[in-house]
Amino acid sequence: MAKVKLEHLTKIFGKHVKQALDMMDEHASKTEILDKTGATVGVYDANLEVNEGEIFVIMGLSGSGKSTLIRLLNRLIEPTSGSIFLDGEDISKMDKKELRDVRRKKMSMVFQSFGLFPQCTVLENTEYGLEVQGMPKEERREKAEKALKNANLWAFKDQYPSQLSGGMQQRVGLARALANNPEILLMDEAFSALDPLIRRDMQDELIELQAKQGQTIIFISHDLNEALRIGDRIAIMKDGEIVQIGTGEEILTHPANDYVRAFTEDIDRSKVLTAENIMVPPITTNIENDGPNVALKKMRSEEVGGLVAVDRERHLKGFLTGENALKARESGKPLEDVLVEMVTVHKDTMLNDIVSVIYDSPAPLAVVDDDNKLVGVIIRGRVLEALADTTDMEVE
Amino acid sequence: MLLFAKMPLAQWVQDIVDWMTKNWAAFFTAIQTGGQHFMDALTGIFTAVPPLLLIIALTIYAILVSGKKWGFPVITFLGLMLLWNQGLWNDLMQTTSLVIVSSVISIVIGVPLGIWMSKSDRVAKVIQPVLDFMQTMPGFVYLIPAVAFFGIGVVPGVFASLIFSLPPTVRFTNLGIRQVPTELEEAADSYGSTAWQKLYKVELPVATPSILAGVNQTIMLALSMVVIASMVGAPGLGQGVLSALQHADVGNGFVNGLGLVILAIIIDRFTEYLNVDPIQKKANKPTGKFKNWKKWVGWLTTLVLLGGTGFAAYQAQEKAKASVNIVYVEWDSEVASTNVLAEAMRDHGYNVKITPLDNAVMWQSIAQGQADASISAWLPNTHKAQYDKYHKDIDFLGPNLKGAKLGLVVPKYMKNVNSISDLNSQANKTITGIEPGAGVTAAAEKTVKGYSNLNGWKVQTSSTGAMTSALQKAYNAKKPIIITGWSPHWMFQKYDLKYLKDPKGTMGSSENITTMARKGLKQDKPKVYKVLKNFHWTKDDMEQVMLYIQSGDSPQQAADKWIKDNPKKVDAWFK
Repeated sequence: MAKVKLEHLTKIFGKHVKQALDMMDEHASKTEILDKTGATVGVYDANLEVNEGEIFVIMGLSGSGKSTLIRLLNRLIEPTSGSIFLDGEDISKMDKKELRDVRRKKMSMVFQSFGLFPQCTVLENTEYGLEVQGMPKEERREKAEKALKNANLWAFKDQYPSQLSGGMQQRVGLARALANNPEILLMDEAFSALDPLIRRDMQDELIELQAKQGQTIIFISHDLNEALRIGDRIAIMKDGEIVQIGTGEEILTHPANDYVRAFTEDIDRSKVLTAENIMVPPITTNIENDGPNVALKKMRSEEVGGLVAVDRERHLKGFLTGENALKARESGKPLEDVLVEMVTVHKDTMLNDIVSVIYDSPAPLAVVDDDNKLVGVIIRGRVLEALADTTDMEVE
Repeated sequence: MLLFAKMPLAQWVQDIVDWMTKNWAAFFTAIQTGGQHFMDALTGIFTAVPPLLLIIALTIYAILVSGKKWGFPVITFLGLMLLWNQGLWNDLMQTTSLVIVSSVISIVIGVPLGIWMSKSDRVAKVIQPVLDFMQTMPGFVYLIPAVAFFGIGVVPGVFASLIFSLPPTVRFTNLGIRQVPTELEEAADSYGSTAWQKLYKVELPVATPSILAGVNQTIMLALSMVVIASMVGAPGLGQGVLSALQHADVGNGFVNGLGLVILAIIIDRFTEYLNVDPIQKKANKPTGKFKNWKKWVGWLTTLVLLGGTGFAAYQAQEKAKASVNIVYVEWDSEVASTNVLAEAMRDHGYNVKITPLDNAVMWQSIAQGQADASISAWLPNTHKAQYDKYHKDIDFLGPNLKGAKLGLVVPKYMKNVNSISDLNSQANKTITGIEPGAGVTAAAEKTVKGYSNLNGWKVQTSSTGAMTSALQKAYNAKKPIIITGWSPHWMFQKYDLKYLKDPKGTMGSSENITTMARKGLKQDKPKVYKVLKNFHWTKDDMEQVMLYIQSGDSPQQAADKWIKDNPKKVDAWFK
């Protein structure tokens, strides 16, 4: 049996809800309904099942109704019609008290901007969910302690949220959710407010945690990479409707419609992608200022074997390899004399034209604009990736 | 041009208030007596504590709350010492208790109201305009029904302050709770908080800074109402300010005003401290051995203060409660007579409380039995309006000063003007008058209507003090001026003035100042009644006292001087 099951779940905002519902029965589109009645459809007849212990990702662009959907699951937003079954019980029919019990015992939520209470310490925040249940102090402190120690936050227990970094705050939010020991974890774009590095760490942590504790996680995201990294199954939403549900692989190989296809960038890339789409920011050295020592230090710190040399106006000068920089240091030559010629491509060059040149080039390709200013570089790996459809593009 | 007849709006409001006064009398009286007792007790406790002790205690508190900064404790200490030195201690304590009580009631009513508003858009829609109305209506207006409901004294003052100062607390509470970020509300809900848990664990703590800002505003508004409330007998610094205004006494006005400023600063800082964000609070927390010394010092000081001195002294005060309340109007003549009578009675062992009021309010308070007596009724003309309205409910004991006179008065250098009929366009066709509620003002209005040559003239109302200031200015510049004058008054000693003849008699003929008492005083306090009945003196006596006051004595000093010089006269009152 599915852990969570949605049947014909619908949410309509605004007035004339009745009229809008009638129009939905005739399969009118969201825009038609808005034009006719002025009511906004947030979620349009959603049906899905989430199995026990899976990470289920709901994704879509902003305005697709995914945040509304997750709030319908624990009834922060009251559904207009339809049912939400949790372990076979219909949440939408519950009275206040039953619903409160479900929220306290079975579901916990993690928020995009963390939702921590500013006037409470980390510890007080973590035990909030237990406190409202009326759990005795000793017991709830024990549970909060365990959750905080798991998240490596015990040392910060007496700090206030405003004293922590974003990543830490979100770990507190997660610890707060887990302290309740819920069966279901609802995560509303939990990592979108974090910077990419921390986001990746948090994703790894979440996967690990799920492997250890086996909660059912319903995760909202607008980032396809994130969905593919953590999701067992993915649902894609558009204009309040769920357009496809499946594993990452299924969605990439058999997109249900053009929207999903565009969403996953599943098209012949070599004909549409240009140098500009796949280039990465170059790591440069300004040879009018830098000497060999600075250049070598930069290579060490950036963990690369060579640098693109430019002048003060970022005009391309050539490529500086590590060996050449060392040579220049020993012989005392200026860097300008030891540069290697780079193959350049214009930023509008098509991907399939790039493929032919990149194999002959020892150094990365330099991407330049009309007056030979450097805008990026292309490395082999990126070309392969782009051709192999692993869709490492962010869809915003 | 109006297309329809004037609606009797004033009459309707009057009828509603009259109906309420009549039908809810028991309720109002209960509040009035209860409130009065409570306020007296509170002020009693405050004043029973020796000033120096309280000043030191407050300074210690200031040091405790302001941490390492020394500016605030210094201001607290010096400011309070200055007020004590200026003899304003009692007034300060009266004002403090009034402000504290208004503010506490504001919080008790306002915060729940604000919460209710924030939870329901419908309630907010109803309450918003009411709040706007409350805040924009001039504070004076609230005094009128306040007097009708609660009589004179501190209770109507609190009532009026309350209405005037409540809105900010309500508004800011509503705003603070509505501004709690949605995510926090959702977080609280998603963990299964009940509405109450959400309110006191999340919403109120997050909204606290906003609520405290509102409370702070409320306190400041209550402070500003203190002065206005003095017009209906609320004791304290406000009375000093008001009386200074009526006597055009810049110095005392400033000193009393300064008292309010110092009080405002102290209260403002203390409430600001309550509004510290938790991280700061933690940083300020001392650690280690003396972790709780601050708390201990604070509690100890409070205990010593209240336990040690307050109650014992308060009990002593309870025994010696004011046993007669004489009301008067802040005219120089009445200040003189009331202070003389009060001082003389005190010398003979009576406890006398004197309360300055607006004239109309004074009459009303005697008629409704809220005050015992007054020796300031000018009859038959000056206070004709009040007499007609209230005489059935007042016991008149006869004149205490004969041959008082009202009239239009001009400086003698206005040679061409000897009678009201001689006036044509002097002094911008303006008669400089006193308070709008005064009898002489009514007489002057009547005069302007009664004489055809005064067509287009107006009576400029102000206050007694402002009128004498205007007279002095005009007199020194030898400019024409016509004032509403009366004798006995010291201005006739100070300047060369003359009454204008009044052929039509609209300003009234010579009249008497009469003593009046509430119905039932004779049975309740026969001794006091007898003294009041015996009290009388002459125009010269009164002008003597007025001159003392005019030349810089305090009313009490002037009264004592005169009593010392006239022992026989005074003794005759107590036979």
